[in-house]
Order: sequence, then C-alpha cells, then structure tokens
Amino acid sequence: MRKPHSLLAILSVVFLLIAVGNCAGVQTTGGPATVEAPPAGSTAIVPLPNKSGSLKFAVLGDFGTASKRQYELAAEMAKFYTGFKFDFVILVGDNLYGAERPQDFKAKFEDPYKPLLDAGVKFYAALGNHDARAQRYYKPFNMGGELYYSFKAPNEKVRFLVLDSTYPVPEQIAWLEKALKDSSDDWKIVYFHHPIYSSGERHGSDLKLRETLEPLFIKYNVSVVFTGHDHFYERIKPQNGIVHFVVGSGGMLAVGDILKTDLTAKGFDTDQAFMAVEISGDKMYFNAISRPGEIVDSGIIERRILPKP
Amino acid sequence: MSRTILSHVIALGALTGAFAAESPKAGPSEAQAVGAFEARVKEYVALHEKLEATLPKFAEKGTPEQVDKNQRALGALIKSARSDAKPGDFFSPGMQALVKRVMGEVLSGPDGKTIKSSIMDENPGVPKLAINERYPSSVPLSTMPPEVLAPLPKLEGELEYRFIGRRLILLDTEADIILDFTGEVVPR
Repeated sequence: MRKPHSLLAILSVVFLLIAVGNCAGVQTTGGPATVEAPPAGSTAIVPLPNKSGSLKFAVLGDFGTASKRQYELAAEMAKFYTGFKFDFVILVGDNLYGAERPQDFKAKFEDPYKPLLDAGVKFYAALGNHDARAQRYYKPFNMGGELYYSFKAPNEKVRFLVLDSTYPVPEQIAWLEKALKDSSDDWKIVYFHHPIYSSGERHGSDLKLRETLEPLFIKYNVSVVFTGHDHFYERIKPQNGIVHFVVGSGGMLAVGDILKTDLTAKGFDTDQAFMAVEISGDKMYFNAISRPGEIVDSGIIERRILPKP
Repeated sequence: MSRTILSHVIALGALTGAFAAESPKAGPSEAQAVGAFEARVKEYVALHEKLEATLPKFAEKGTPEQVDKNQRALGALIKSARSDAKPGDFFSPGMQALVKRVMGEVLSGPDGKTIKSSIMDENPGVPKLAINERYPSSVPLSTMPPEVLAPLPKLEGELEYRFIGRRLILLDTEADIILDFTGEVVPR
C-alpha cells in the first residue's frame, strides 16, 4: 500500500522542483501597470475623457437574477450610455441564475438590457458556475459556440481573452498561452468568472487558479484582469504588475462581504454596480457606477509597457 | 517557459496515468477499468454524434427557444437510445475505486484543503441523482481544479466531469444530461 504512494510522492516532488525552478525564471516582460486614483476617503472623481476614436466598454457580472435591483442597475447603464457610447459590454459570468428556459433569457437578460441591445451594443460573455454550457450558442452573448475565446477590439490595439474558469483543462491553458503569445496588441485584457484576487469572505481568491494563470499573465504582458463571483465591486492593488477588478455586483449583492485585507485598493459592497471603461493609447480610464448613479471608484491605469530593445 | 511548465503538468498527468496503470496497488484491474471507461466514452461520443447529426446544428441557432428546443430534442434522443442505462455503466466499481483513490491522494496533499473548498464552493448537492435526467438547473456547476482533472481519464466530445455534492458525475454538456455518477468520493 505504501510503495505506490511513495513513488507518486517522489514524482510529484520532482515535478514541483522542476516547476518551481522554471517559475523562478519567469520574468515580467513589461513593466508594471500603474494606477492613479483619488486617495481613500476623497470624493474626487477621475472623469472618463469620452474621446472620439477611443475604445469604450462596460463591465458587468453576476447579474441574471430578474430582480428589481438588476433592472434598476440596467436602467442606470442605459442612462449612462446616453452620454458615454460604449461599444460593448463584457460579462464576467453568472449571466443567468436558476432556470434557463427561453423566458428566463428574456427576463434575466433581454428585457433589462433592451435599450442597450436596441442601440446595437454588443455583449461578450464569459461563463460562470451558474451558467449552463449551452449559453455559448446564444447569439447575443457572442461566444461563437466556444467556452473560451478571444476577440480584438474595434479600435485601439486591444485584445480580450475570455476564459472558462470553471473547467480549466490543459487544452484551455495551452490555448491561452498561444493566444497571449500570438497577440501583438498593446493591451491584453483577460476576463473570467472566478477571481484570483478577491477580499470576499464568501469566496475570496481562487489560489489554485492563480497558480495556473498568473505566470502566463505576467509573462505575456497582461495589464488588466476582470472577474466576478464575489458579489461586490473591488479594485485590487496591482499584483505582480497587473490590475485586477472584481465586478460581481450586477444583480447579486453580498453586503459587507469585503473583508479588510491588504489587497483592496477600493471596495464597494453596499449596492449594485457596473464599470465603464475607456482606453485611449496607453491609458485606461475607469469609473465604477452604482445603481443610484453614483461614481464609487475612478482612476487611470497606465498599461504595462515592454522595455525598448 | 510556461509551455515548459505546461509540459510538466502534462508529463505529470501522463506519469500519474502511467502510474495508475502500472502501480502494483492499482494493478491491472485499475488499468482495465480505465480502458473500459475510455472505450465506453468513445462509444457514447459516437452515439451522441450520430444522434446530433439528425438535428439542426447548435451553432446555426441562437435564440434561447432554438437552443433549448435543440438541447431537449438531443436529450430525448439520447435518453431513448440509452433507455437501459444504469448507474455504473461508465463509473464501474473499478473506476469508482480509481476516482476515490485519486481524490484521496489529491485532497490529502498540501493543497488538499484549498482544492476541497474550491470543489465544495456553492455545491450543496442534491438528495437524488438519476441517470439520463437533465442537470438540475438550481444547482451551480462545481469548479473542477486542474489537480483533479489531470489524473482522471481524458474525456472526449462534449463530456465533462463535475461534482454534485460529494459525488462525481459525467455530464453531456450539449444535451445537458447526466450520464452516470459515483458514490461519495469527496471525503467529509
């Protein structure tokens, strides 16, 4: 009984030593992303410049509840859109809670976001743990039948990589590495459901997923990561040069769930919220907007820049 | 460099697989169980593809009504073709023993606690599971940590492993039906 265990243990140790050796050599290919934001306690707001030709998008997660609050936040998004024409919305998962009958797609997605859909705003979904796999075939989610995929933004040099964090098979990780390696875009933005950094009491950071993904993000110059799963808004202090956001506040809400940790740059867990983002050149401007329309966080991120040869 | 790490992960998976097949403890019976499982999966995927070919393609669809209709139609065809399916068709006693051993090893390792909490996150389980039934819509999908997926036999087609409570299930994600399930394999 013991012998096989010992053999496996030896193999595992050998593997770990090799892996650790390799990880030690992982270099940040670009410098760190930096964030400028009003200091804690300040009521100052960094406005979105709303420049013509910039890339504008919104971020939404954990929303498909059909609740009054989801509809109210959706209405706030539509209101915000009238002054800030975002091209698309990225969805960080948990797009439909509970049943997923045709009428649920209507009540939990099509009806609340009708003004945006009617205005031609596209949605690009990642799947969360509450989402049936068949959502990948639902046209308005623009997943092209894939569980993980990437797309290039219509303007600026921005590539989005969308992952399925509930089922990280080796094929997906290999795909991610290739997609990151092949991308020559200035901005590489990754989004998926489970946060690898979060101060949530309910879920918190997914450490195993972090072990798998973060070395690739560092190596291939990812500047920003968006996730959900924890039902609040949180901006994480840059970790290994990368800025992480948790935006699981689109419909669900876990009031008071943000624990006091060293990770938090800004947290908001008292109401629903979405993000509006604008990329212009090397700068990403962001606002987090609550259900009553208050800007609860804002700032500017300068992307990771590769050193000049 | 990450590719190197990945290759090590794959290598470890292969080593673990090889180990499972060659280990004196596992013995030929475990290798035999894996072989039978893989053959059964292959056979099922062929059946799935044959039945799916009789329906309009999912990718050509797009409305929830169309996706739902197609999914239910495929589920009904599969259910009818597998009307004699019973627990253990995929997860034979040998495969269940393998899964239990793998889970025991993974969860008793240094990251066992983290991995277990990842699996059990929003995963209360259901009192009763049934073969050929749709995945319960009220139950979120469990997260499958890479450490658990790596030592299990690789799946084909649209099949996935998931946990419902402490039991591992084999799920046809396109038809959204449960093909088989184990007993409790995540220790309390």
